[in-house]
Amino acid sequence: MGIGELAREAHVPAGTGAATAPRTLAEALRARGDEGLAALLRARPDLLSPVPNDLTQLATRAGTRASVVRALERLDRFTLQTAEALAVAPDPAPYPVLLALLTGDDGDPDVEAALPRAVEALREQALVWGEEDRLRLVRTARELLAPSPQHPSPTGLGPAVVEATAGMSPGRIQEIIATAGLPATHDPVSAVAALTELFTDRERMGELLDTAPSEALTVLDRLVWGPPYGEVTADPAPPVRWLRDRGLLLPVSTRTVVLPREAALHLRGGRAHRTPEPHPPALSVLREYRPQVVDSAAAGQAYTALATVEDLLKSWDRGGPPVLRAGGISVRELKRVAATLDVTEPVAAFWLELCYGAGLLASDGEADERYAPTPAYDDWLDLPAAERWSRLVTAWLTATRTPGLVGGQDAKGRTLSALGADLDRGAAPEVRRRVLTLQATLPPGSAADPETLLARLRWERPLRGGATASAGAAGARGGQAAPARTGPEASPGTTGTTGGTGYGGGRQGGGYGTGAPTLASTSDLRSRIAVWTLTEAEMLGITGRGALSTPARALLNLPLAEAAADALTGVGGGVELSVAASRAATLLAPLLPEPVDHVLLQADLTAVAPGPLQRPLADMLGVLADVESKGGATVFRFTPGSVRRALDAGSTASDLHDFLTAHSRTPVPQPLSYLIDDVARRHGHLRIGAASAYVRCDDDALLGEILADKRSASLRLRRLAPTVLAAQTDPASLLDGLRSMGYAPAAESAEGDVLVTRTDAVRTPARTAPAPVPDGPPAPDTTLLAAAVRAIRAGDLASTAVRKERPETTRPADGGLPRTSPAETLATVQAAAMTGSAVWIGYVNAEGAASQRVIAPVRVEGGFVTGYDHTADEVRTYPLHRITGVAELADDQV
Amino acid sequence: MNGPLIVQSDKTLLLEVDHELAEACRRAIAPFAELERAPEHIHTYRVTPLGLWNARAAGHDAEQVVDALVEFSRYPVPHALLVDVAETMARYGRLTLSKHPSHGLVLTTTDRPVLEEILRSRKVQPLVGERIDPDTVAVHPSERGQIKQTLLKLGWPAEDLAGYVDGEAHRIDLAEDGWALRPYQKQAVEGFWHGGSGVVVLPCGAGKTLVGAGAMAQAKATTLILVTNTVSARQWKHELVKRTSLTEDEIGEYSGTRKEIRPVTIATYQVLTTKRKGVYPHLELFDSRDWGLIVYDEVHLLPAPVFKFTADLQARRRLGLTATLVREDGRESDVFSLIGPKRFDAPWKEIEAQGYIAPADCVEVRVNLTDSERLAYATAETEEKYRFCATTATKRKVTEALVRKFAGQQILVIGQYIDQLDELGEHLDAPVIKGETSNAQREKLFDAFRNGEISVLVVSKVANFSIDLPEATVAIQVSGTFGSRQEEAQRLGRVLRPKADGHQAHFYSVVARDTIDQDFAAHRQRFLAEQGYAYRIMDADQLLTDD
Repeated sequence: MGIGELAREAHVPAGTGAATAPRTLAEALRARGDEGLAALLRARPDLLSPVPNDLTQLATRAGTRASVVRALERLDRFTLQTAEALAVAPDPAPYPVLLALLTGDDGDPDVEAALPRAVEALREQALVWGEEDRLRLVRTARELLAPSPQHPSPTGLGPAVVEATAGMSPGRIQEIIATAGLPATHDPVSAVAALTELFTDRERMGELLDTAPSEALTVLDRLVWGPPYGEVTADPAPPVRWLRDRGLLLPVSTRTVVLPREAALHLRGGRAHRTPEPHPPALSVLREYRPQVVDSAAAGQAYTALATVEDLLKSWDRGGPPVLRAGGISVRELKRVAATLDVTEPVAAFWLELCYGAGLLASDGEADERYAPTPAYDDWLDLPAAERWSRLVTAWLTATRTPGLVGGQDAKGRTLSALGADLDRGAAPEVRRRVLTLQATLPPGSAADPETLLARLRWERPLRGGATASAGAAGARGGQAAPARTGPEASPGTTGTTGGTGYGGGRQGGGYGTGAPTLASTSDLRSRIAVWTLTEAEMLGITGRGALSTPARALLNLPLAEAAADALTGVGGGVELSVAASRAATLLAPLLPEPVDHVLLQADLTAVAPGPLQRPLADMLGVLADVESKGGATVFRFTPGSVRRALDAGSTASDLHDFLTAHSRTPVPQPLSYLIDDVARRHGHLRIGAASAYVRCDDDALLGEILADKRSASLRLRRLAPTVLAAQTDPASLLDGLRSMGYAPAAESAEGDVLVTRTDAVRTPARTAPAPVPDGPPAPDTTLLAAAVRAIRAGDLASTAVRKERPETTRPADGGLPRTSPAETLATVQAAAMTGSAVWIGYVNAEGAASQRVIAPVRVEGGFVTGYDHTADEVRTYPLHRITGVAELADDQV
Repeated sequence: MNGPLIVQSDKTLLLEVDHELAEACRRAIAPFAELERAPEHIHTYRVTPLGLWNARAAGHDAEQVVDALVEFSRYPVPHALLVDVAETMARYGRLTLSKHPSHGLVLTTTDRPVLEEILRSRKVQPLVGERIDPDTVAVHPSERGQIKQTLLKLGWPAEDLAGYVDGEAHRIDLAEDGWALRPYQKQAVEGFWHGGSGVVVLPCGAGKTLVGAGAMAQAKATTLILVTNTVSARQWKHELVKRTSLTEDEIGEYSGTRKEIRPVTIATYQVLTTKRKGVYPHLELFDSRDWGLIVYDEVHLLPAPVFKFTADLQARRRLGLTATLVREDGRESDVFSLIGPKRFDAPWKEIEAQGYIAPADCVEVRVNLTDSERLAYATAETEEKYRFCATTATKRKVTEALVRKFAGQQILVIGQYIDQLDELGEHLDAPVIKGETSNAQREKLFDAFRNGEISVLVVSKVANFSIDLPEATVAIQVSGTFGSRQEEAQRLGRVLRPKADGHQAHFYSVVARDTIDQDFAAHRQRFLAEQGYAYRIMDADQLLTDD
């Protein structure tokens, strides 16, 4: 955009009074009250950083491209349509003209009613300024929204006649107006004006089109709603020629023509958009339940969510999976988690991310990095169930991490892994909250139809939503010369591009599979987040059977039904999320199932806990029996293995009997008691221990004697059997120890033979002698020497032969630097030093400046040449590697 | 929020039997949930796709199922489960098999993509003919069973509306003189007749034969009855003559020895599956008459070839009878698609409570092997281990002690290994019935046992099924076919016929402790334990001391 234009909008001309109409945006802003400015800054917070110095600067910043794009992206569809209509209207446009563009010739009371609000919204955001009769769209916005060949307008309109005829020869213009039935004019400007006037005059235009051949009207039909560009051959068909001759198609390039905006508007009945959408699409109710049903379903799910998180983290109690180098866990580990939780992988990813986002699991930061529950998890476990839930959902509500993306690919085609990088999406918290608050607008107990919910979200942020209805026309023109990019999204440096491109290739929305709405058009990120939100909210018990629960309403700080509000007295009335969360927890607590303290034991060796178990009971049963089925209740099965596990954990059979008797509502069945006794009978029957050596003797009295002897204490002997002692010392020390006590022990081999303790000479296993490692290369033999000498001679001969022949070629004719190879350079200067002759060198100094010098080398050593410099008239030293080349001087020059 | 039902996330339903609403709840969930375990306090039902489709076939819809779950559930029902129920049930009936006036058997759909999906399956392609219109495809009439089976496997069960042939009419009435069908038997007959085809599950001794007779009396058509063996065939015949208007001459036996084809023909699976020169020569039996009804006794034993023949008989009414719809080969879904869905099921304990089967005391006697036996067991080859521990001498002694304990009562000693049985017969001085015993000899011995001339009978697995020995009160099992659950149930069934004096039946299982025998026993008992039979465990030493 032109700087001058910006300045015109922002600059304050001297002597402007407040009473007159504002001439710039800055003036318009200045005329606003503080309220108005605050509203602007609230709507466009990016203008605030840093805080502008004055209104001029604010106006300038409000007109920058990045900021305008940002503001446009946050407009709802109708406000955006209004802005788009302004962009194709004359600048400035009076309000009635704008209205006509939106309603068309026939009028539309809905649009008429909604338009003032839309204009006001644009005005508030400083996208539009000026009086009612001179509405001005900010220049940058206009550039972004107005049609141009690079940037087709979402309206599908082409350039105006005056723009389209800009490069046309005056003669051609005169031809067009003549063919269109207009009188000739003096200059092209008035000719274009006349043509424009014709196109905008409904009556005359109608007459003109009445004379058109029907094929021509078909061509117009194809272009009227955009894209307005068409390809023509060098020798177009008669209908196209008819249109071209009358300016109804104007040439853009040799092969492309465009339908001028005024003509298209005539054909559209004056409407800039095919369907103006003044009202947000209504949310429809999919099903209605009694609010109690919703609350209890949600509470049940909330409880399941807590149980799932616990199950997940318990399974990682002894260390979770390793952290991938790029972060996150591997697909195989994710599969394992899914199997543990008996859910699909996307759902498993959701639970993982939920735990991660709530700070319940993290990487342990060790060298061999693994995931593990955090200490916060232990604190969390100690909370009451309702608070545990509120901790999870607050973390979820504000998280930017988007588990739905897991399994998809990032822009570089790398798979996004659960807990890994690149899962943050800034839009997520806002979309989540919006989805829930939209559902909250329905009466309690109503489940919203996801399709209408998505339509509503798309209406609210059409530019963020990727494919939109109004941009649909633009999007449809695949393969055309004009690019198929939609609106400002295509502008560089904006955030809009995230919408459709990079992640579109990933998994589609609704990938959770568990009753997630299968929606057709969920390719854009916001819609996908919205779909995920619906599924995730259901899994978390924020919604029950698709409808928002009462605790969730409290969480979102929404007005509650009276009964629910009463329950909250004394919980505080702030609007902080933490306060809201504790209010939600208070409401949820009575809905959650009460933990039970008993189980029902049955003769088929199962135990059923008819509800959530108190924790110590659950922990003990978890050891004593295997969990067979989970849900509202838990079914345990006793097996020999599980009973053995409990015995291994230190319980005795009688402990187990007492435990079962104490916690069973029903008598302990005989088979179960029998099982415990039977396993206990065999438990520990075989004993395993470690000993380093043993003492064996047929005379148990002698062993008793050794044990009784105090001197044997250091040998740490233990009697295993009457004739066997086990020792914790190695056999050699044991032998020495017993010998020192006066006994005559003999060593035994593994097979029980007596070892003969003759001292054998020590030998290594077979070894090869070390190979010598000489300091330098071996001395050369005569053959090698002869070959080397021959090679050196040959090389020397070759180089001298070349040197004598080269002078002419190395010497540049036009005084450029001489160029020779380093070897040649060295040889030449050495020769010159020896002969005392002068040479001509090209030299590049440390700054890179090249020069030519004539020097008489004196000495050449260590990479430097020292000599008398004729040019500088003194002795200097030059590094050889800076010398680009050298040439002998002609004898006469010395 | 205090209903009797707890819905688990793995789709099992736990029903608290002592709850006041338990009966109402049981009635509400029975149509769609399979009773999986029925121990004393909490019964476990499972919601399976098969069960849901069964319910659809019986005219229930998803709404009813969801309502039943929600109404009786103590805790909120997981939403995902409700969605799953609705989705699963919605799969049934998208495809229907019906008779088309001009194209014969056709498969039609209400959901075109489903038809497209299944037609793309390579397994379906050979079964169907031309596409009649976008929603209809012709099916080869001979493939009616095959396509149902295949579609079920693909998860799109077809509703079979093609109807049944009436078959050749033949007058059959129940001769209810001095007896009447029990209420549950009537329900079973009605359930079957209403559904057209299907399986009736009743405990052993609960009178399945009479359900068969009742079904025949409804059909009033020629009937083919398939049974497991000849003795069983004779019993069927005997029972039919006694309970219906049929006479001896109207009932034919088609077995290895006799090949009679009469209006009511009883054939054994064995003769049907006899293969000679690569063909089944007796297969023509199915086509020899225009059968109006085919009864499959002990449908859980239906041999694989019979499944194949049955696939071709889809136009005839089929009744499956069994005590345990547990197939060790997992082919329950084939039973569903080829014979028909389960039409009636009654928990054993319920029938027992009504007094139609005798209450039973199930005891597992654990026998300590002697040291030398343990050593021998430890060194035995893996494949010989079970045989060794199941046939040890210690077991024999314990068995003898048991027989002494119940002296005077009618005792059956049941085992797997002939050597063991012969030895037992010798020690107990009792006749042995095994595979090589001739049918005449068997009948003679069974008669003697029934009359009380013999009080102890040693039998091999030939007596597992369908042998009606109403007076047996004690069964002692010394060895079995490894871990077969249904064998255990069938053997218990031998003593479950209600006793004249109403006293308890005893079922003893002698098991060698700490051996593979004990593991198999645990597996064998699972079905009965799940039906509510609580096994007591007893040490053999205790028994021998008492002795």
